[in-house]
Amino acid sequence: APAVRGDFLPRRGPRVVVVGGGWGGATAAKYVKLGDPGIEVILLEPNRRFVSCPMSNLVLSGVRTLESLTRGYGGLRAHGVRILHREASAIEPDRKRVRVDEGYLEYDRLVVAPGIEFQTEQVEGLAAAGDRVLHAWKAGPQTVALARELQAVRDGGVVVLSIPPPAFRCPPGPYERACQVAWYLKRQKPRAKLIVLDASPNIISKTGLFRAAWRAYPNLEYRPSNRVVRVDPDAREVTTDFGDRLRYDVVNLIPPQRAGTIAVRADLVGADGRWCEVNHVTYESVKHAGIHVVGDSTIGLPVPKSGTMANAMGKICAHQVVRLLAGRPPEPMAPVNVCYSWVNDVEAMAVINAYRIQNGKVVQVEQKLTPGQSAASGRNALAWARSIWDDVLA
Amino acid sequence: APAATPAGPRDPGYTKVFACSACHGRDGASRSDTVPVLAGMPAWYLKKAIEDYAAGRRPAAEMEPYAKMVLGLGVDDVAAYFAARPKAPTPIAPDPAAVERGGTAAQPCVACHGAEGKGDRSKGAPDLTGQPPGYLLNQMLLFKADTRSPGDPALTAQKALLKAIPDPQLADIAAWWASRR
Ligand SMILES: Cc1cc2nc3c(=O)[nH]c(=O)nc-3n(C[C@H](O)[C@H](O)[C@H](O)COP(=O)(O)OP(=O)(O)OC[C@H]3O[C@@H](n4cnc5c(N)ncnc54)[C@H](O)[C@@H]3O)c2cc1C
Ligand code: HEC
Ligand code: HEC
Repeated sequence: APAVRGDFLPRRGPRVVVVGGGWGGATAAKYVKLGDPGIEVILLEPNRRFVSCPMSNLVLSGVRTLESLTRGYGGLRAHGVRILHREASAIEPDRKRVRVDEGYLEYDRLVVAPGIEFQTEQVEGLAAAGDRVLHAWKAGPQTVALARELQAVRDGGVVVLSIPPPAFRCPPGPYERACQVAWYLKRQKPRAKLIVLDASPNIISKTGLFRAAWRAYPNLEYRPSNRVVRVDPDAREVTTDFGDRLRYDVVNLIPPQRAGTIAVRADLVGADGRWCEVNHVTYESVKHAGIHVVGDSTIGLPVPKSGTMANAMGKICAHQVVRLLAGRPPEPMAPVNVCYSWVNDVEAMAVINAYRIQNGKVVQVEQKLTPGQSAASGRNALAWARSIWDDVLA
Repeated sequence: APAATPAGPRDPGYTKVFACSACHGRDGASRSDTVPVLAGMPAWYLKKAIEDYAAGRRPAAEMEPYAKMVLGLGVDDVAAYFAARPKAPTPIAPDPAAVERGGTAAQPCVACHGAEGKGDRSKGAPDLTGQPPGYLLNQMLLFKADTRSPGDPALTAQKALLKAIPDPQLADIAAWWASRR
């Protein structure tokens, strides 16, 4: 498509622009329309298709295909959301404009939901390694590439999975991934081994449940308090903060993370330069009025960076945006969270969180775990995925 | 039943059900096999289910925290919201052979669930028709194992009945009720 210039879509009425059509942004765009169809909603998202990170660890074990996790944006269009498959390059909070190519779009309220970006500079050699060291932490081509590397690994080979220090997207995700890789290796490469190098001193989510699940995987070796600081794809070697070196046949290095780049460029992140602090009721940035941030880019709420949470934030934020545009006060509403983790091809387990708003802040009321892993939870995980994909996109 | 009205922000339940669509589908129109349809569910039954989950009488990790949340938000608004939605039967079409076998085996259920299986409030028995087969089977197995409302005298007769039916036949019965409209 040709580059746009000037005010390329002049505003005719109240307008909300959403940056990022992932879990948080797509939900927010849809729910603004549900709340008030009279508001013009424009969604900026460079990708033509939505690929779900949740369930994507099952692609590594060959249980699911990436296609089965991929959906179009037609449902949002049916709600009247206008989708531009373009990237926002900058935000001008004072002029209430988003820049796209050479042009710009005006907004009354902006919702920023760009997910995460990797801090490749935190691991020596990572930036230069390019696609030779995979993260597979944004579902897409890297997920498929990592699955292929696992299929190609020799029996007796060493697979290294490295987990960054928090905060990162999906706290239970790396441990679920360890289950899927170990399950696959156990069946297909019985002499191969998975070594998990975790920057944290212990499993940071569903600790007891993962420990129990890993009893089925004697091929999985867990090394806590092992942060990877260097990678050398030529020598096929990682180095930890203790100076220990480890040779690998396949490496999956999940890098340290921060908010999506646009949030950093727009000065929405805090002093750490990583994450965006928001009002817990409206999700409005504490730094710039009129700009809301939802999803993984946020920090400060006692919640995990999960798809369910991004979806919940998207709905609540949309509701407050509609109210604010109508000149009405925001209505305190608490989000909810559920995270399923797959431990093999059919069994899963879940953590469920409930919250409330207290003195304008989100506080956790309860956290509950499924009693253990089960096929029944696996079926509920499928049910959740099916429903929430619709909630985000249909 | 109350007339179906379009869902919208003016309904007092609108924001109170925001959390539910992640698992139960938009406006409770579940499309999955194991999470029940809430759209069109009578308020009295939905309210009882929420109270049972919150009290732990129906142990379910997914529902207990949210049931407590619903009690805090106002269960009547939530129940009224779903009751006012048009019923949305499951799109899951069970194996026709299972449905046929289930039809005969399901006869004892009508004593409480009504001739058509659409529920009988006077007996406290809900509508079984159009619920997903996986969900119905799960619930029958929970009754059979006496983990759903354990020891509840109102359910002794149903549990005795279900205990006498072998599991594969329960799956057929689930298929039957799921297929009814
Ligand atoms: C392996 C794995 C498993 C997971 N499993 C689960 C799970 O089981 N359950 C769960 O709840 N969560 C899970 N998660 C977490 C979940 O994927 C994230 O929390 C969720 O995607 C966050 O949503 P988001 O909207 O913040 O970001 P995203 O969904 O990543 O969306 C961000 C979007 O913004 C777009 N974007 C970025 N910059 C710009 C720009 N400048 N202009 C326009 N668009 C832009 C991107 O293209 C992207 O589409 C998992 C994650 C991983 C990696
Ligand atoms: C994380 C997923 C999830 C969320 C979110 C969720 N539910 Fe459920 N719900 C379930 C599951 C799973 C069941 C079946 C549980 C069982 O085995 O009894 C269920 C069952 C129910 C039932 C019982 C229906 C019947 O036929 O007996 C009701 C009522 C219900 N949910 C209401 C709600 C409401 C209201 C909300 C939102 C406030 C909600 N649920 C949110 C997963 C969820
Ligand atoms: C003696 C009365 C009685 C009979 C007979 C009976 N039921 Fe029920 N059933 C009930 C009651 C009461 C409930 C509501 C339980 C509750 O409130 O939790 C119920 C609930 C259920 C549910 C849960 C539905 C939901 O939405 O969660 C299922 C499934 C069910 N019955 C299946 C059956 C089947 C199948 C049969 C016949 C084989 C049957 N019942 C026969 C009284 C009966």
